[in-house]
Parts: sequence; structure tokens; C-alpha cells
Amino acid sequence: MISERHLPKLMALGVLVLLLLPLMLNASGSSYLISTATRLVIFAIAAVSLDLLIGYTGLVSFGHAAFLGVGAYTVGILSFHAYEGDTFFGLPGTLSGLIVLPLAVALSALVALAIGALSLRTKGVYFIMITLSFGQMLFFLFVSLEKYGGDDGMMMFDGRITLPGLDLNDRMSFYYFCLACLIAFFWFCRRLVASKFGRTLQAIRQNEARLSSIGIRSYTAKLLIFVIAGAGAGLAGALSANHTEFVSPALTHWTRSGDLMIVVILGGIGTLLGPVLGTIVFLLLEEFLPLILHSVGLDLLSEHWRFVLGPILILIVLFAKSGIYGLLFRSRE
Amino acid sequence: MLQIRNLCKNFGALAATNDVTLNVDEGTIHALIGPNGAGKTTLISQISGYLTPTSGSIKFDGQDLLAMPAHLRPHAGLVRSFQVTSVFPDLSVIENVCLVLQSMNHQVFSLFRPAVADKAERAEAMEILERVALENEAETTTRNLAHGQKRQVEIAMALAARPKLLLLDEPMAGMGAEESRQITTLLDGLRGSITMLLVEHDMDVVFGLADKVSVLVYGKVIASDTPRNIRLDPEVQRAYLGGHEFHDRSA
Repeated sequence: MISERHLPKLMALGVLVLLLLPLMLNASGSSYLISTATRLVIFAIAAVSLDLLIGYTGLVSFGHAAFLGVGAYTVGILSFHAYEGDTFFGLPGTLSGLIVLPLAVALSALVALAIGALSLRTKGVYFIMITLSFGQMLFFLFVSLEKYGGDDGMMMFDGRITLPGLDLNDRMSFYYFCLACLIAFFWFCRRLVASKFGRTLQAIRQNEARLSSIGIRSYTAKLLIFVIAGAGAGLAGALSANHTEFVSPALTHWTRSGDLMIVVILGGIGTLLGPVLGTIVFLLLEEFLPLILHSVGLDLLSEHWRFVLGPILILIVLFAKSGIYGLLFRSRE
Repeated sequence: MLQIRNLCKNFGALAATNDVTLNVDEGTIHALIGPNGAGKTTLISQISGYLTPTSGSIKFDGQDLLAMPAHLRPHAGLVRSFQVTSVFPDLSVIENVCLVLQSMNHQVFSLFRPAVADKAERAEAMEILERVALENEAETTTRNLAHGQKRQVEIAMALAARPKLLLLDEPMAGMGAEESRQITTLLDGLRGSITMLLVEHDMDVVFGLADKVSVLVYGKVIASDTPRNIRLDPEVQRAYLGGHEFHDRSA
């Protein structure tokens, strides 16, 4: 195990690897994997945002994919109207990233504010159920949007959003843009959890009932972190829509929320870095497990690769209390 | 400073607080004694806002307390400690105190400045830890403390909230003799600057500290007087003190 003292150095190394990754993939002739790497980076943003809730505040939110959906549909709907050349409630569509991205994040934050304001009145299992319900409500809302493809979703025919000085339709540029978003968001979250507000969040997780006696209203603090986490997931959703140039309700299905929870728990809750590691392991397994199973002749399992993924997850959760992070790092104490 | 009028709290058919009227005068240490189940903690919880009374009124510093949400009461100067230790187990000792300070300084929503960078806050927290003799455990994770030391953290947190009126629910319960003496001396030294309502079972502590004693039995205040008179009160003798003789240390 590695001491947590070396964490800053290792994270710098990790960033370096992520920066060089596309070049290495290009050099080794497997540039198609850049798309996988991009997906990984986007997924990690969502996982880190969920860790703020589950790991730091102790809020097990089972509807986090809802905010992915809000971010993605903001991008999709604006792109749809830009392509059609018509308007949405009197507003024209657009592909301008400077409008679309802030709007996607702001709308996700707004939806998180509404969902959080109601859900955070409940605790424990009820909170899990109510966030799950809100997630499913949004899922069915998106399914019912016939104009935007309903069940099937919609293509973004004009391609990705535009940014001045950056061609996001180039997969290298898009990868680096997503990576910049991940690094910025990760840095933001590190600052956040180390602040006095972060200390409040940990106090909520450890002994929420005690807070009012020292003059802190936990509800307000929980609502703020719920909004911040929702905004983070909204950013991931907006990037995801651009990545696939396709938006569909599948993004907000409850199994997506489940995947995010798995990644956070697998990686190690309350560590921020853990969920990033969890994402890497999860997506690598998803990508390569079927291939590996196929190559050793287990074709039936290769088709139902999740059948193998399940036990692997159970083993990690059973034997590594703080997930992959806990396996790798020794706490400073 | 604190006026409780005709306070009632019913849990179903049980009257846990039964028509309690009680005054705590500014600058005094007011002890609340009574047998187990008399409703002492229930009363403290209503004053601090953890429970809502069925009827009656509580005034603090002239303000109607029942209209004030629990989380605002500490900011008005009304602070409680808990009978069952209630700290933040995974934070260090000093962070438990800092958390209270940041709340009092209205810095709960300080989002970006690293918490450890606030040297003034840490210095103030350290000072408070010295007063409860915990300065050597400042960086210890609170869950690893001995039970008595956790009780000291509880006191430190209460002091950090800069109380005008301190509700102490059996502060010495579970402390060793030495720590208990230390805290008694500390509380004695705060007499006059902080008004206290003290629930305590150790009669030596009660009669050594209190300016006034109220006796609660079955949710009712059966007597409220000076320690000397309480000791001589035949009804109190019968209901609670059980005929024990107590040494009058203040005499």
C-alpha cells in the first residue's frame, strides 16, 4: 500500500498519463480507443459529483442519472431546434457552447434544487426511494417527449457544440476538452471538501442530529451540496450528449444511477479520487471483459458479461472496505 | 433570563412534563435534580428545541423561544450539552470545536478557503481545549478518545458556542473523579459570566455548585429553593434524597 503522503505526486502522474493517452493510443494504432477514454473521463465527472453526496454527506442518492438527462437534453433540444431552424418557447436553438454548456449546468442545478428541496425532507431509505422516484419521473418525461424522439431519442444532426478556437468535432480536441472539465471539476471538489463547508458536510454524515444544537441547519447545507452535485452531473450529461451526438432517455434510466453508485462504492466513497479509479476499472471491465471471456472460449458468458462483473464487484466491496482507493492507499493516521 | 411557564409535554397518556414553571436567574447556576425518569432531559430538550411542548411557554432573554427554530437558539446564546455523548466521531477533537466556532462566526458556507488555513479559529479552539484540559488530544480522532475525554469534548463544544445560558445535561456522567473535579472547578469559574441550568446526579457537585436547586419528580417541580432549604425540605427528602445526609460543603 502507498502512503497518502504521495497522493499529490501520483495525481500529477495520473494527469500526465491522461494527457498523453491519446498520443499513445494514436502511436499504437488504436486511436478508436480515444472514444472510450473520452467516455471514461465524462463518466468520472458524474461519479465524482455523486461522491460529494454519498461519500461526504452520507446522502445515498439513487436518482443521480436524472441530472445527466437534464444536461444531455438541454444540449439535444437546443441542437434540434438549431437544425430545424425553428424556436423553442420563442427561443431559437443554438450550438454555441458558450451558451449551451452554462445553460445545461444551470438547468441541472435548478432541477436539483427542486428535487433536493423535496427529497431532503426525508432520510435514510426514504431518501433513496424518493430520489429513485424522481429519477424515474424524469425518465418517463423524456420518453414522452415525442417531438424529441420519445423512446428512441434523437441524433444531433449538426454535430457537436461549437467553441471559439476549438473544434470539438475533432475527437482529440473533444477528449482534451472533457479532460479539462474533469480536472477543473475535480479540483473544485477537492477545495470544496477541504473547506469549512466540507467540514459541515462530514458532520452531517457523522451526526446530523447534533447540528442544530450548534446552530447549523443541516437542510440548507444538504440542499446546497445536492445542487452542486446535480450541476456536476449535468455537465457530464451535456458532454455525454456531445460525445455520442445522440440523446435518449436511456441516459436517465435508473440502472444508470445504479452504475454511478457502483462506481463510487467500487472506487471508495468519500475520497473523490476513488470514484475516478472506480470509473476506470468499471469501464475497462465493461469494455474488455466480454472480449476476454470470448477469447478463453466462454462465449455464453461473454454475451452476459455482467454475470461475471457482479461477483467481481461483490468481492471488492466485501474485502476492500474503502474500495479500490482503500486497497491502494494507506491513510495518514 | 429563562422563564418557563406552565409547560406540559405529553407522550400519549404519559405527562413527561407536567405544568412546569421555572425561572433561571441571570448569572446563577441553577441545578435541576430528580430521580431517573423525572423528565429532566425532556425539559432540557424542550428548552433547546429538540422537542416541541404540548402547551405552555418558554421565554429566553425576553424572546418567545417556542417561535424560534432549534438551530437559531445557539446563535441567541442558548446552548446545550448532551447526556449521551454526541460528538462528531470521525473529526479530530479540535475540528469538533472548530465546527462550533465556524457556525458561531457564520462561516458554514465558506466554500473555498481551506478550513485548516483559519489560524485564528484554531487558536481559539485550542484555548478552549486547554480550559477543559484536552489540549494534548487536539489532533486525535474523537472516536479514539476514552469515554471521559469525549465528555470533555462535549463541554468544549458547548463553551465554543459562547453561551449566555448553558443547559448542561449531566456533564460529569462517565467522567473520572479527576476530570469531574476539573470540570466542576471550570464551571465554578464561569459563574456570573455564563448562566447555567445543570442537570446532575452527583449531589456533591450539585450542592457544591448550585445557587438554586429545583427538584423534578414525575414531570412536576416539587420544590425550587436554595441548596440549604432544599436539603431540609421534607417533601424532597421523601421523594428523592431518600433521607440521605449530605455534607454541606458550602458552609
